[in-house]
Amino acid sequence: MSPTWYWSVGALRRAVGVGAFLALAAFILGPLLTLLLWACAGSWLFPSLLPEFSFKWWAYVLANADVTKAIRMSFASAPLATALSALICVPAAYAFARLRFPGRRALLLSFLSANAFPKIGLYVSIATLFYRLNLMDTFAGVVLIQMVNTLLFMIWIPTGTFRGINTNLEEAARDAGAGPLRTFFQITLPIALPGLIVAVLFAFLAAFDEAQGTLIVGTPNHITMPVMMYTLVLSYPQPVGAVFSVLLSLPSIAFLLLAQRYLRAGYLAAGYSL
Amino acid sequence: MSAVTVRAAARGAPARRAWKEGALGLALVLPPLMVLVFLIVLPAITAILDTLTPDPTVRGFTPALYTQLLASRIVRSDIVFTVVVTLVSVAVTFALSYPLALYLRFARGRLPAVLAVLFTIPLFVPVVIASFAMITFLVNHGVISTIFYRLGVQRFPPLVYNATGIVLTEVWASLPFAVLILGAGLQAIDGALIDGARDVGAGPLRTFGSIILPLNVTPTMIALTLLFINVFGSFTIPYLVGGNAPQMLGVTMTNYLTQYLRRSEAVTLAVMAFVISAVVGAVYVVSVSRRERGAV
Repeated sequence: MSPTWYWSVGALRRAVGVGAFLALAAFILGPLLTLLLWACAGSWLFPSLLPEFSFKWWAYVLANADVTKAIRMSFASAPLATALSALICVPAAYAFARLRFPGRRALLLSFLSANAFPKIGLYVSIATLFYRLNLMDTFAGVVLIQMVNTLLFMIWIPTGTFRGINTNLEEAARDAGAGPLRTFFQITLPIALPGLIVAVLFAFLAAFDEAQGTLIVGTPNHITMPVMMYTLVLSYPQPVGAVFSVLLSLPSIAFLLLAQRYLRAGYLAAGYSL
Repeated sequence: MSAVTVRAAARGAPARRAWKEGALGLALVLPPLMVLVFLIVLPAITAILDTLTPDPTVRGFTPALYTQLLASRIVRSDIVFTVVVTLVSVAVTFALSYPLALYLRFARGRLPAVLAVLFTIPLFVPVVIASFAMITFLVNHGVISTIFYRLGVQRFPPLVYNATGIVLTEVWASLPFAVLILGAGLQAIDGALIDGARDVGAGPLRTFGSIILPLNVTPTMIALTLLFINVFGSFTIPYLVGGNAPQMLGVTMTNYLTQYLRRSEAVTLAVMAFVISAVVGAVYVVSVSRRERGAV
């Protein structure tokens, strides 16, 4: 074999690598960039490569009463669902991590059932139960359906966090005379805080972005922002949906920036590899 | 230990403390467990019982609702369509994510660092937005078709409002999950094992086949099962990006519930979806419990 052969194979491999990278980048970023362009487009006619820029649709979207109502509904329901979930799940996570009780492992695994059912089938089944309990088209129903997706995050991430804390520190505090509650609030909780923040972040995004279940349970009077998107996508001009998409992404982006220092790849994997 | 000594020990203080700890543990776990029962277990059981007893005045179970729905050619084609689209989406996602996870695990440098950020982006994009973004990107007279037009390609198959659109969007949305799960598994494989295989002369393929693949079976099962359930139970993507017929089951059952106002048919379809994905769901739970054996 001549050295040229090696050279061409090396160059070929590099070219294939760069090509694959560019294709993946185009596949992932292409749709999002298109959406961003549409959000600042007045109109975009085929076959122009770029739209005619204008922000007139922003005024249109923000002046729409249904949109502001949906924004209010989203910011009322998702934080409440997250807070309720945290309130009941964090103590349970502490129990899963630290206390011995019968059926501990099976009960912890039972929370995986939220992932083991096809979501839409689950929502349809929940809807029939809600019909009987008069929870359809109520605020309580919307909060409950949003909680479905928060439970797993709020149980499993904090359980892992509490388990990772060395018990020596807690025992030392107890030896120094602190009661169990004081030990929890002054020692355990501060150390566990980053993990708990990540769990709350994931739970909030899951509740805030929930669309399918809320569409079924909340229609017609309890419309959240993601549910509003269905209408905007299906029956409004493209820029309206695009502007609203940017609005809907703001909480995700804000939370990402706020929680950036906690979002080590490990936590990301912990949250999503359940 | 005899029964007598056990009873004697049970009277002692350590046993009482263990009993108190057990009671406290169960009490703390009870509230979220009740929510879980109310929102998942109870709806699933009610759905199964309701669809097997469509007429409350008649005693006993009957599969009437199921035979009735399965007699419909549209429902049958929707079921087949859902299974095929799901399998194709899972296969494409897996084929893309395994090499990517391997690359991120073993490559060093700036490109992998950029990729590691890039592939997680879809995690933070709500599915509704992802579907809409995909439509604007792929639709006839959208960006892709403009680029093709400029390159002189006038005719190509439609990319949205059909199965192609659903698969592309499902792949877009689930790629990060698959890479994260597979990547976490690959991270756990001891680098020394791989170096050892290389040292005794195994090529990259051999190393992959006899070291990496067997050690990554459980994360692979978790990734595949989770992908299947997520795609199979999706509504938003097929609703917005899919065509009119055939439709995926998520859209069919939602239409029965909210458009045709035929609740029992909707729930029957939901139970059919549970049954079709039951084995996959069970494998998922078993795999996660196996992976977490040390931790749980």
